[in-house]
Amino acid sequence: MVVRNVQSERGAYGASVPALASAKPVIIHIAGLEKRFMTRSGETVNALTDINLDIRENEFISVVGPSGCGKTTLLRILAGLSRASSGIIQCDGVQISSPRPDVGVVFQQATLLPWNTVLNNVLLPAHLASDKSDATMKRAEGLLAFMGLKDFAQKYPFELSGGMQQRVAICRALMREPRILLMDEPFGALDAMTREAMNVELMRVWSEERKTVIFITHSIPEAVLLGDRVVVMSPRPGRISEIIDVDVGRPRSLKTMATARFGELCDHIRTIFGAQSLTATSL
Amino acid sequence: MSAAGTRSKSHLLQSALLAAIVIAAWEGACRFFNISSLVLPTPSSIMVRLYALFSTGMIWPHLWATSVEILTGFVLGVLAGLVIGAMISLIPIFERLIYPYLVALQTLPKVAIAPLFIIWFGYGLASKIVVTALVCFFPVLVSVIAGFHSTDKDQVDMMKAFGATKWQTLIRLRVPSALVLIFAGLEIAAVLAVIGAIVGEFVGAQVGLGYLIVTLNFGMDVPGVFAVLIVLSAIGLVMHGLMRFAARHYIFWIQRNDAPVTL
Repeated sequence: MVVRNVQSERGAYGASVPALASAKPVIIHIAGLEKRFMTRSGETVNALTDINLDIRENEFISVVGPSGCGKTTLLRILAGLSRASSGIIQCDGVQISSPRPDVGVVFQQATLLPWNTVLNNVLLPAHLASDKSDATMKRAEGLLAFMGLKDFAQKYPFELSGGMQQRVAICRALMREPRILLMDEPFGALDAMTREAMNVELMRVWSEERKTVIFITHSIPEAVLLGDRVVVMSPRPGRISEIIDVDVGRPRSLKTMATARFGELCDHIRTIFGAQSLTATSL
Repeated sequence: MSAAGTRSKSHLLQSALLAAIVIAAWEGACRFFNISSLVLPTPSSIMVRLYALFSTGMIWPHLWATSVEILTGFVLGVLAGLVIGAMISLIPIFERLIYPYLVALQTLPKVAIAPLFIIWFGYGLASKIVVTALVCFFPVLVSVIAGFHSTDKDQVDMMKAFGATKWQTLIRLRVPSALVLIFAGLEIAAVLAVIGAIVGEFVGAQVGLGYLIVTLNFGMDVPGVFAVLIVLSAIGLVMHGLMRFAARHYIFWIQRNDAPVTL
């Protein structure tokens, strides 16, 4: 943690840290986090090793890295779906050991229940908490309207496109008004055009509902476009190789991707991957 | 939708046309080669016999008995399959304890144990119901177990992440997920139920369509046998159709690709 903080204060390319980021309190504190798996042949694999990261309230953290770098494992531990082997992973000073009601998760697949309508899928987290109040219903309808899905409330997931299904999944994650939103490559299965549209959509959501977001992706431009900071991870063993401050102003749009600074940051991340002697195809 | 409807209509027309050609060829061949009705009766003679079976009222008690056997046996077999399948899926110790015995039971040919059921349950409907239930039981059991195992891992994680208890995950996710394969098992069981009842009647009965076949065969009434076979396949088709209808209603989110089935 100490080492990383020094680095993040210096920032990539010696850029200054935005004042806002350091003003907010730390909400997630990760120090010396390790995750080991036993393979079937009895070998121990280090999925995550020496992960140190402090995430502040309302921060948008992108985590980028090639397959096998443990980024999904990290998110699963944050979501309380998997336990750390050792180390500290705290939310509000409490070790995360099971799913928390103030955390919303969006998975790579939309994972909607196919036998439920769009509205009931969004209401699922509330239904699980036996909350069937009018306010809850209003919130669900409001979220759907906000995501442009008003006319689809009574449709079933199989009647929706992939992008729309993922938007429903985002509504569902926002249903219980979480403070933290965990997103595991949510747009990975979408085509490039839909993906860009969803990025813009997500920035709009984030500007409206200021959540702390941890966004896993394998797309470098996506990570830079969305994140306040980009956590660059590398595989075997899964670890953080660098944390980069994205000193590009907000609001951002797809045009931001054409700016010189944006290109420099993307190039820098590519260089990190290149330095790990990974071939271009594995990125 | 309307395009698909038109297509299935034209498929139906093609099937009907094929049936007409086959039947005409059959009738023609029988007459042309003067084939004995003891070997292969003409379709027209089968139809005459079929009509007679109904018009004389001769078939009704048999049709009733076999229908009761099929339906009761099917319901009992399915219920047992659902309950025991759920127990095996959800309580691990049951899988280890009783599943091997159930598999062993299944490997026994039902025809071979049917005589035992006659001894235990008598010549009446009960013994046929038991055979039918036994035949229906296994496909349902296997489909229930496979159904519960088919729950998507990502969906389970999703439920957990949103705070679902084990019970909520079972009711809201695992049971509906299992329905897809359970209905496949029900479709198989529905068709097997007809076979089960007939097998039971062949071994020893005083009434029923299987008994009627044996009797007509004994009397060299081959057109009559064919007529009863038509009735039996009609029952099988109705059972299968009912299951398909139920499946369409209860697992509507599965977009079945019907094209390869109806060709």
